[in-house]
Amino acid sequence: MKILRLFVVAGALLTGLPAWAQMPHDAIYMPKNSACIAGMYGQSTWNEYWEGSLKRANFNIGTHTTQSAMLMPAIGLSNRVNLILSLPYVWTKTSAGNLMGQRGFQDLSGWLKIRLAEHKGLSLHGVVGGSLPASRYVPDFLPMSIGLGARTVTSRLLVNYTHPRTGLYLTAQGSYNWRSNIRVDRDSYYANERLHQTNEVQVPNGYDAAVRVGVLRQKWQTEVFAERMANLSGDDIRRNDMPFPTNNMQATTVGWYGKLQPRHIGVNARVGYVVNGRNMGQATSYTVGLLYQIGGL
Amino acid sequence: MLIGLPARLNFYFTMKSIYKFLLVSFVAATSSALLTSCDKTIEEPLRVGYTPATLDDKAGTWKPYILSTPTAVTVAAPVATTSSAYAAELSSLKAKSAELTRAQQEAVVYWGAGAVYRWNEIARELAAKYNLPPASNAAGTYPVPDPANPNADPRFPFANPPYTARALAYLSVAQYDALVATWHYKYLYKRVAPSKVDAGIRVALPVSSLPSYPSEDAVVAAASAVVLKAMFPGEVAFIDAKVAEHAASRQWAGMNVESDLTAGSSLGTQVAALVMGRARTDGMSAANNQSLTAGMIEAAQGRGQTQIWLSQESPIRPPMLPNYGAVSTWNFDRATLVKLRPGPAPLPGTAQFDKELDELKTIQKTQTREQARIANFWADGAGSYTPPGHWHRIAANAAHEARYSEVRMARTLALLGTTLQDAGVCCWETKFYYYTPRPQQFGVKTSVGLPNFPSYTSGHSTFSGAAATVLSYIFPERSQEFMDKATEASVSRIYGLIHFRSDCETGLICGKNIGSYAVNRGKADGSGL
Repeated sequence: MKILRLFVVAGALLTGLPAWAQMPHDAIYMPKNSACIAGMYGQSTWNEYWEGSLKRANFNIGTHTTQSAMLMPAIGLSNRVNLILSLPYVWTKTSAGNLMGQRGFQDLSGWLKIRLAEHKGLSLHGVVGGSLPASRYVPDFLPMSIGLGARTVTSRLLVNYTHPRTGLYLTAQGSYNWRSNIRVDRDSYYANERLHQTNEVQVPNGYDAAVRVGVLRQKWQTEVFAERMANLSGDDIRRNDMPFPTNNMQATTVGWYGKLQPRHIGVNARVGYVVNGRNMGQATSYTVGLLYQIGGL
Repeated sequence: MLIGLPARLNFYFTMKSIYKFLLVSFVAATSSALLTSCDKTIEEPLRVGYTPATLDDKAGTWKPYILSTPTAVTVAAPVATTSSAYAAELSSLKAKSAELTRAQQEAVVYWGAGAVYRWNEIARELAAKYNLPPASNAAGTYPVPDPANPNADPRFPFANPPYTARALAYLSVAQYDALVATWHYKYLYKRVAPSKVDAGIRVALPVSSLPSYPSEDAVVAAASAVVLKAMFPGEVAFIDAKVAEHAASRQWAGMNVESDLTAGSSLGTQVAALVMGRARTDGMSAANNQSLTAGMIEAAQGRGQTQIWLSQESPIRPPMLPNYGAVSTWNFDRATLVKLRPGPAPLPGTAQFDKELDELKTIQKTQTREQARIANFWADGAGSYTPPGHWHRIAANAAHEARYSEVRMARTLALLGTTLQDAGVCCWETKFYYYTPRPQQFGVKTSVGLPNFPSYTSGHSTFSGAAATVLSYIFPERSQEFMDKATEASVSRIYGLIHFRSDCETGLICGKNIGSYAVNRGKADGSGL
């Protein structure tokens, strides 16, 4: 009986707020017996979104904001195997309308990054990751929900070339993201053009791909990137409906990332802008982090 | 856990065991997630056919809603089972039912769960498909759905709760009246099932001693199609395909010869046409008369309503069907409706109002996961089959579990469907009589989405009180369960922060009073139930 506000999940939510510090998507490794702990704050906002392919605003949302605080340790299990963990606390709000913001611990993620081969600056890496919801947040009160509630498994291949003398690098990656079904509080919902009479919801699997160009030096790093994420199935938000976890969410993001770490303590920052999407908000996001390295120097 | 490690020396020392632990737990978690749920197929409850607990052979004497008598519609006498015409029908049926494809088997099982059961479910699906409010346009207004152009944006209808309550009421009444007439003719003509004439017919569903002419399945399909095409005019092709599959499934299953189906289809169409005659003059066409709201507001203010309801949407959206309270009721007259209307809600500024507002503000700060679960479970908001749809589902499942005959299933849903629409009409009349503000006009947010009409009384509470009262009468052994559900649906609107406690508690009581009129009707309908 609720009348509408149209909502879309913030871009960051979909990918499970992957971290951007020490990262499951770069070719950088913590040396054996060292660790880097990043504490990060992120914010993502949008005031337009794609309802299917229709770009629109919603005066009952105004500007939608997702904020997160995250702890992310990266650990050098060996010089070519790193373990990266992250646990974000997320909260949402809107500038208009009357939807109650949601807050809580989102998903606990873990990634193993392995350097599979290396030859003269050219390297091939495999990443396997997974995530589990860290609290019982409501996944289908979109776009206010802090996550989609699915368990995920990601496998990623990453190719990197770093010019040995200048530190100039080019990275390309591709991933397959498997997502589990979820259980919602309601026991019926309309999705994929039919009524479902169950509380079980299929969250589509997806892929992501990215290209990054940058310079990596001992104490600093700067890069520009383009990322693409898309589900491999799913439905569109219906005309003037709310978004739902079954939606085929897609986004192309461009942005910049930089890191400065003179010694144990460092900082990093990322900005991103969604240039194209489907069933998602056109988000502008930034993240800033404080890094602390233990050992390895 | 790494964060807590204090000293660097210790850190180096313990690092290896921590790696090992993390690695093992990570791999274990990942692989168990993969192994347990790689298959993402969703299992939905499967309903199958049954032999009814009783045939209700006297149902031809039960009191219909619209038909004056079963003989108000005509069904020609069938040919004798000894005739050559019937023999030709039998051999055609034998050919159709001898060997089935996978798809035909699935259709047999699907429709075998029950004609009324499935058509009620289809109607709920259409309600969910069409329960989306129009978007505002560039001019800052909301275009009104156009029944003459149902597939344009915004699509017609906006199947909101009052609309859906009415659509399901007419559907159930048409099915019930048509089945009462069907039972009359079945026992008048007493033509037995084809498989009882020719034991060589392969049947795929339970066969009872119910006479098979006219086919109750064809009756229900035809009657349902007439109502649903009127209610969802953009779905004609979809409905026609369902009717065709339903009829065909009866032959694939070896259950009905062609003349059973033809006679049933004719009967169903005739009854539904009469039922829809009432729909054309029940006042629904004036339910969205927005020009009345100024007078309603003035009248409410004249009765002391200091602060009135205002749409909280941007741009301001006209309220949902402000004159739905004038639509005809099923189980009582207009004078009774006025008597059923509760007294006024606590006025803003009174101690009682402040107390109820404080309750919401507290929940906003401290909402538990269980409160959120209850609010979400009963929300039945935009894009859903609405609270009336939710209660139809509960009722249809209860009747299915009790192995009700088609006619008793239809009676159940007609009693329920009419009381739900009565509840909608009474509740809407009350809402626009008092025109009370929503909690959101006092700074409260919502975790379920805010309906666009006045607060008092709660629609969910009224619908649920009425439905639970009727279902308690029909299934007395499950009464407590239905009453608990109604109470939970009612309080869910407080947990979702869109209703004051008075809206819900008073609405629930009103709903129970409304339901008692349908119960009285049921007790007097000649069924002896």
